Amino acid sequence: MDDLAGFLQIATWPPEPGVAFWAALALVGGALLGELVRRAFGMPRIVGYSAVGLVLGLAGFGAGMLQGNARLIVDLALALLLFELGSRVNLRWLRANPALLLTGAVEALASFAAIYGALRVIGQPVNVALTCATLGTSASGAVVARVAGELKAAGQVTERVIVLTSLSTLFAVLAHKLVIGWLHLDVAGDWVRAVSLPLWAFGGSVLVAALLAALVAWIARRLDLRDENAALLLLGLVVLALMAAKLLNLSTLLVPLLAGVLLRNTRERPWVWPRHFGTAGGVLVLMMFVIVGSAGSVDAVLAGGAAALVLLVVRAAAKTTAVFVLAPWSGIHWRQALGLSLALTPLSGTALVLLSDLQGTHPAFAPLVAPVILSAIVFTEVLGPLAVQWGLRLAGEQHPEPSTEARRVETVVA
Amino acid sequence: MSVERFTDSRALTLGVELELQIVSTHDYDLTPAAADLLRLVARQKLPGAVVPEITDSMIELSTGICENHADVLAQLGEIRDALVGAADKLGVALSGGGTHPFQDWSQRRIFDKPRFQQISELYGYLSKQFTIFGQHVHIGCPSADEALVLLHGISRFIPHLIALSASSPFVQATDTAFDSARLNSVFAFPLSGRAPFVLTWNDFGVYFDKMTRTGVVKSMKDFYWDIRPKPEFGTIEVRVLDTPLTIEKAAAMAAFIQCLARWLRVEKPYQPAEDDYLPYTFNRFQACRFGLDGVFVDPQTGEHRSLRDDITATLAALEEHAIELRAEGALRFIRNELAGHGNDANWIRAAQDRERLLPEVVRQQTQRWAGRS
Repeated sequence: MDDLAGFLQIATWPPEPGVAFWAALALVGGALLGELVRRAFGMPRIVGYSAVGLVLGLAGFGAGMLQGNARLIVDLALALLLFELGSRVNLRWLRANPALLLTGAVEALASFAAIYGALRVIGQPVNVALTCATLGTSASGAVVARVAGELKAAGQVTERVIVLTSLSTLFAVLAHKLVIGWLHLDVAGDWVRAVSLPLWAFGGSVLVAALLAALVAWIARRLDLRDENAALLLLGLVVLALMAAKLLNLSTLLVPLLAGVLLRNTRERPWVWPRHFGTAGGVLVLMMFVIVGSAGSVDAVLAGGAAALVLLVVRAAAKTTAVFVLAPWSGIHWRQALGLSLALTPLSGTALVLLSDLQGTHPAFAPLVAPVILSAIVFTEVLGPLAVQWGLRLAGEQHPEPSTEARRVETVVA
Repeated sequence: MSVERFTDSRALTLGVELELQIVSTHDYDLTPAAADLLRLVARQKLPGAVVPEITDSMIELSTGICENHADVLAQLGEIRDALVGAADKLGVALSGGGTHPFQDWSQRRIFDKPRFQQISELYGYLSKQFTIFGQHVHIGCPSADEALVLLHGISRFIPHLIALSASSPFVQATDTAFDSARLNSVFAFPLSGRAPFVLTWNDFGVYFDKMTRTGVVKSMKDFYWDIRPKPEFGTIEVRVLDTPLTIEKAAAMAAFIQCLARWLRVEKPYQPAEDDYLPYTFNRFQACRFGLDGVFVDPQTGEHRSLRDDITATLAALEEHAIELRAEGALRFIRNELAGHGNDANWIRAAQDRERLLPEVVRQQTQRWAGRS
């Protein structure tokens, strides 16, 4: 066999497939399974992508904490999704409907407090409970943006879940930076770092985001962003800003999110570009869901599964309560409130990126938190998109209605 | 089933219905929020009514019975402000215009109400293509016979009304070259066009009976005529106007029709005749296609002149009736528009030439509708 391999000039035998090989395989598997769940069960395709990751992770081939290429892909895909999400946050709407802004604030604070309290009750140490609370506060921007886009959902629940997710992501990132600062203080008694690091992460991110927003606006005045080439240019700019953020140790979540928000709110002209910046972005998004899905492992679930369940239950309860209490004032029906609450339940990429950042700054402490967060991701990775879909369907915002779709398929078959 | 009794109403009272676009403030495409808007405005006491329309990104508002131009403007203003307030709360915006310039009709959802679902079943894609927005003006008539005479009198001015109100040059992101592309969608319906030439309610009843016997129609609602009698209100309903971009224009158009009605009723400048309809579809096409620059064939003399000229002549003839009806402001508004940018279709095209981005054009339309620019 080796002789034959040598004759055919195959360098190494047996072959040692590298990262690119596995990435391609994940891409094929994810795309196939995504299409299958879409056709057979009418589920969002990302359920398939995540399921591939989940199987990989539980089989022990997972990415675990994000490192190297996996981290890069997740950062890129998340940057695109958060930029899109941010560009749909209209601050004028929050001013016209203060109840919505209040829902965002109460929802985030209540999630934070509920997770912290519950984890303390079941005996987790202060620092672990605090960190889990920050990571668990954010709703999943990636899942929301992706599922709403795929279902062509439109309506109050879709718009509100985008705004609330952006707000909670903002809140989680800020709280996370403060917690990292707190850990510096608590563990090392380092005052200067405790104060300067969060300040730098926040201030620097705002600066880079403003720069990105200004550049995009400048280009949009001159090119039609719906054009393929202009979309690639836009993609390039977002990636460039992300790389700058990495080089300067800024938040890779905050920069694209804030850039989107700034773009949307400093100029009146509407922005239209292809979803995920076209095909290139679509590939990144698919791979991100596979990678995030594979983050969990059996060990993690055994160690942190119980705490993760508690976290998810109290988190969902807190978000649902906040949404329902403020629903009448903010102008939505109880059915829409229920849909909105469901759509806020997934937890994914954002939390994983924050966890990986923690791993970078506090390698000794992070492993205490990781099992809980990774288990929570395992639990919501497949169920989360379904919850979002269910929520949107409940509010009547899924398009086209599945019944019509099914009928159309039946007619074609007949 | 025979035609219903014509409820008599006070002569020259008027009412306005407007169909509006609900758009997203993100990409300015149509967005489904009719049910949310209705729920929010239901809490307020308004002079007229706000009701759903066939797709859930449309909404219809109507005034109560109005006396004059100022009355219409005040009622429209009150309803507009309530709706804009609710839209702000929902993060959506409202816009006038006879069509949405770039919406994709296959994406529209039919509002969940049995009549709309039936229409959708029957007409297929036509019903979604019916995502168009019009202004209807009701004029009160003291008797059914007078209503029919007035209906055929106003028919001569249908091209004028189309040209003045046209605001639908773009359909599905394409410049249609028409000023009112909306009416092309209406003409696709089987029972669109003109009312039969009958001048008494008895004769109309005979016609209606014949039509119901064929099974083609069941009620007056099945006629999509340019002007139709509305027996339950005791009015004639002019249906050819595109929804304008502002309530000021909507009120001015309503008052213009009220002046026309008074002129026709008091001075009787024309005797209605079946032959008036010979150039009718030609004139109507010219008005839809070329707007104010269209050719108008005078049904009485066969003379050709531009619609703009005939409108100017008509405005002069209405002068004294405008004074009687306190509609001078309305006619002044129309004259200023004629001297300025022309009709709303001209405004929309100019905005697109300047911006080169239809969503931005719609954004500016929403600002004009809200009275913010």
